[in-house]
Formats: sequence, structure tokens, C-alpha cells
Amino acid sequence: MATKRLGFIIRGLPYKTEASRLAMTHAIASQSVEIYLEDGDMVEPVVCFVGDGVLNCLKNQQAMKHYGITSLEQHIKNSLLLDLKVLICKEDIERLGIKEASLIMDAEDIGGETKAQIVPYSEIQKEMESVDHLLLS
Amino acid sequence: MGKLTIGCFSSLVGSLSLDFAVKLSEAAVKKGHTVDLWLSGNATMLSKKGQKAFKDYSHLQKPIQELFTTGSFQMTACEACAEARGYHKEDTMEGCKRFSMDWYLASCFSADRVLHIGGD
Amino acid sequence: MKLGVLMSDIRTGSDVIGRLTAEKLGIIFVGNGIYHATVKEDGKASSILGKSATFYVLSEDLESRGFSSSDVDSRVKPVTYSDLVDLIFNDYEKIVWL
Repeated sequence: MATKRLGFIIRGLPYKTEASRLAMTHAIASQSVEIYLEDGDMVEPVVCFVGDGVLNCLKNQQAMKHYGITSLEQHIKNSLLLDLKVLICKEDIERLGIKEASLIMDAEDIGGETKAQIVPYSEIQKEMESVDHLLLS
Repeated sequence: MGKLTIGCFSSLVGSLSLDFAVKLSEAAVKKGHTVDLWLSGNATMLSKKGQKAFKDYSHLQKPIQELFTTGSFQMTACEACAEARGYHKEDTMEGCKRFSMDWYLASCFSADRVLHIGGD
Repeated sequence: MKLGVLMSDIRTGSDVIGRLTAEKLGIIFVGNGIYHATVKEDGKASSILGKSATFYVLSEDLESRGFSSSDVDSRVKPVTYSDLVDLIFNDYEKIVWL
């Protein structure tokens, strides 16, 4: 029985490329990975937004309304609903002038209990050190 | 000997990132390692059969087919990413598998090293 | 952690490299990242080469872009794909692509 932790580090902007979306959908796919693993083995993703990647975390994204595609907001909420650990870099939101009130911090509206955390980069560095593999997008 | 899992989101043609992934796979297999190559997003195009070689475009079908013959290499494409791009199971290159994204995470689980090429 | 960074571009990724720390850090220039090892913009070598790390450059990507080993900054060691596999398995526990 083992748990492998995967660090999804998202540094890219949303929408122009698929990178941050695919990072989120792959992280969420951890919910069904057991079908390929031995009993008791698990994959635990941690999602960290750094650099310009923190802009994926803004509230009120209306990509579904305008382009008919799931917003990154919805993917972040889904990950919180599934109790994934979501960290947002404090220094980067300050650099970009983003207030906590503008960020997706929870998924209460869809029944989620886990909250995103705004943390100093040093905390994200610690996560990067503790995970088994790093997947940077 | 170890297992290397490479995940790639980049296009078949344009960035040379998939070329890098394939060359690295060849070098790793030659040294006795095993390699899983996961194709997601635009990278799924590498799994399409019937690629024609032109000198101005990356052509990776041949080295992939040679890698398959070693028995130390497997390539799997994200099924949803491929379907979204309009190509289906019957369009897939022989030897290439198609699964959902959890396959990649399971491959990472058992990998000694993971290289995730997450950009376009 | 022992971290190997494959740097594939000259214009992006420096922000990440700038604040990454690792007990052992290796930066391997591949693709368009090889310009960090070869080009002196405004007469200056890439600031990344000032970082506390071991530097490598992929020979095939160097030669594909019109350079040879003699053009490479003295702090950077040219490597082949075969060498790169050994670095990945023997020298670094985690690998990231920038």
C-alpha cells in the first residue's frame, strides 16, 4: 500500500493554451486512478498556482457563456469539491494586485468543504520538495 | 533499470517538444529503461495513423513504430482529447493505446522519473 | 531535493528559475533554451548562468541551431541524449520542463 503525491504546478495563463486546463483535468482524474492500481495504492495530487498562473483562480469566469467551454473556475471548484489541496501563491497575487475576495477560495455553492489556501511561495516550495513527482504546466 | 514516464501536451508539428520526447525515449530504451509516453491535448495527434513524411514537418511515426518493437516502450493517447479533435479509435496508430487521464497518473505512480512537458 | 530543470526557451521560464531552490540543482538547456548557453545579449551572458547550479546543454539542439561546443559558455557542459538519460536517472530525483 502506497500513496504517491504528484505536484501540479500551474504557472501559465488560462484559455490561450490548454495547459492549465489539462493540468486541472489530470489532477481531478486522480479520483478514478485506483482502477489501474493495486488495492490500497493511491495517487494524491496537490495543485499549486504560481506566477501568472494565479490568474486561473479569478472568480466570475464566464467561459461557458461566451465560448461554451467549462471555465477554469469550475475546474478549481470541482477539485475543491473532491478535497484536492489547492495552494495559491501570495506574492504573485500581491504582485498582480489581486485581492483574496476576487479569488475562488471555496466550492460551497456546489457542496464542497475544502478551501483553497493563499500561501507564501516558501510553502509552495515545501510542497514541491515533498511530492514524489513534479508536473509543471 | 528504471521506468521513465513522459507526459506531453505539445503539438506533433511546430514546437519540436514531441520530437524531444521521442528522442529521449529512444535513448532511455537503448540504455535498458522502460518508457511510458502519455499524449494529451494537441500531442494526441502523434497517435494518429497515416502520417505522411514531409521534410518541413516533424515525422515521428517511424521512430515510434521502431520503439514499439523493443517491448520497452508504450504510448497512450488521451481518449477524450483525441475524440475532441475528431479522430477515433479506428484512426489510431497500431500499437498505441487510448485511455482516460487516470492512466497517466497510474503510470506516474509506478515511475522512477516523470517528465511532464506541459506547454504547447 | 535534487532537481533537474529542462529549460526549453530563452524568453520564458526565468521567473520560475529565479526563485527555485534545491539542495542540488541542474539546469539542462534544450530546444530554444540553448541560447542561454550561447548568446550574449547586449554583451552579457544569460543571468541564469549566475545561479548556483550545474549547467548542461543538449548537443543535438545546439548543432541544430547553428552552434557548436566551442560557442558554449565555459560554465555549461554539452551532453548527448544518452548523457541526459543518465542525468535523469542518476543525478536528479525530480525533473521539470520549462
